Amino acid sequence: MTTLHHRRLVPDQLNLLVTETQGGRAFLSDDHRRSLSTRFRAVASNNHRRLDAWSVEMAGQVTDMFRWSPTMTRRTLGNAALRRVKSGPTVSIVDAVTDEVTDQLLRATSGYARSGTMAQWLAQCPQPVVGLVIAEAVNWATQLNEIVGGLDVPWQIASSDAYYDVAGARTTLRARRDLISSNDAGRIVMRVRSGSPGKSAGPGLRADMTVETLANPDGIAPLRFIGLWPEAGVCLAVDGTMADLRAGARDLVRTAVVRQRRLTPHAA
Amino acid sequence: MTIVLDSPVSVVDALRGDRTVRPPLNHASASGLRAQLEDGIYDVLGAVPLDHPIVVRAASLRQTPDTANFSASTHGRLRGVLINQALRLMSVGVRIDSAFDDVVLAWRGESATGDLIDVMDRLDNDERARLATDVTAHVVTLARSLGEVPGRWMPRSSVRAVQTLGGGNVILRDVVDLMIGTTGGDVASVALFDVTTSPLGEGAERAMRFHALVQTLRTSTMPLRTAAYSSATGDIWISDVDEELLQRSVNEVVACIRQMRNKQ
Repeated sequence: MTTLHHRRLVPDQLNLLVTETQGGRAFLSDDHRRSLSTRFRAVASNNHRRLDAWSVEMAGQVTDMFRWSPTMTRRTLGNAALRRVKSGPTVSIVDAVTDEVTDQLLRATSGYARSGTMAQWLAQCPQPVVGLVIAEAVNWATQLNEIVGGLDVPWQIASSDAYYDVAGARTTLRARRDLISSNDAGRIVMRVRSGSPGKSAGPGLRADMTVETLANPDGIAPLRFIGLWPEAGVCLAVDGTMADLRAGARDLVRTAVVRQRRLTPHAA
Repeated sequence: MTIVLDSPVSVVDALRGDRTVRPPLNHASASGLRAQLEDGIYDVLGAVPLDHPIVVRAASLRQTPDTANFSASTHGRLRGVLINQALRLMSVGVRIDSAFDDVVLAWRGESATGDLIDVMDRLDNDERARLATDVTAHVVTLARSLGEVPGRWMPRSSVRAVQTLGGGNVILRDVVDLMIGTTGGDVASVALFDVTTSPLGEGAERAMRFHALVQTLRTSTMPLRTAAYSSATGDIWISDVDEELLQRSVNEVVACIRQMRNKQ
């Protein structure tokens, strides 16, 4: 049976979700990985496909082409800024975000950023748009700072999202992760989303947790995967059980199938 | 209610007020308010799920059936969106050189398409010049009143909130133009700041209360103050958030839902 916890996003409730985890440490073996790879290979695709929790929640619907905007940059810049604030608490969030944006601009002007990257886009933006980028990232970093401010356990900002390339299936899986809290028993992974959770938020969390587990070198699942929706003031969580991992893997494969059918309707 | 007819030297200073007299954080009221809202919604809508949820926004409470709302005109909406961009830039200390051009650039950086963008593109030179003059006047008034927003006061702009009630039958949606302070700590410190390009009126007061209510429901913590500022007149209304204010807002929201239900 799969799990799904629903709580208000307040420090007490979040601390309970982080500390009161139970159960053994589920893990994905090489056999599991091979089995998953076989299932993905069975869904033929002409192009490289990228799947994540969002595509699971949207039932494989192909979304519009990616385009940089202040909203699209806020998470990367906001998380990086909060990392700065953590290492030097005297820095204000606004200053930290401004420093991050300056670093990105420096990368672009010194030629270290490839075309299509955020740094290149920022370098071409007029000053007011850069100002809006800063405002969005400040919002993100401040709300994350308020969340971690109430945590009673050690935490760190995730250095990157989790990625897993499925062998021979031209498929890359991605899991969003913003905060990680680790202890001797294992790790708790948290990710922040805007808006409010929809009916498929649970499957989305399970998909993220499965990819997070696959991306772990030892295949060990997090004790719990928590989704935070600060705009709605709620959080949902799934436990790192084998049943949840299986459900996550199943949803990812189903999403690949549905997406393929959408792209090639005549083959259905 | 504190009414300041002419803006104080710095709006932000007025919002933060005296640090020594702030009330302790109130975590207890949110659940009671939520329960009252749920009861009120049940009285109006019953237990039957609606095909489409009733969405209540601050704008729903600003309107009254027998008054004309000039800020709801296309020109007014366009001006409101642009002033909001200016506030966002000011909140993080970005210098605005040419008010109209800068805020239009910022706006287009975020939204490439949309009804209002189309309206903007269709403006002829005269209309565009009139809008530019209008927006510049509002931005100058706002900049003079707002002053510098210190980074240590945790400013964030266009803060969104959504609350689903009545089993999904009602959605409260809100965007606070500027929020300062934090929900952490031992005393209330969050101040909500709403900018309108119309003169302040009863509707603005209801919107102030709505912001405080939704923020309380979202964070389960009562904010310190809520304020409405008119960039047309430079007036600001600041109100301390307390049980009575939130209670009034609950009643107003339920009345609004009843009105919207009757219209359906």
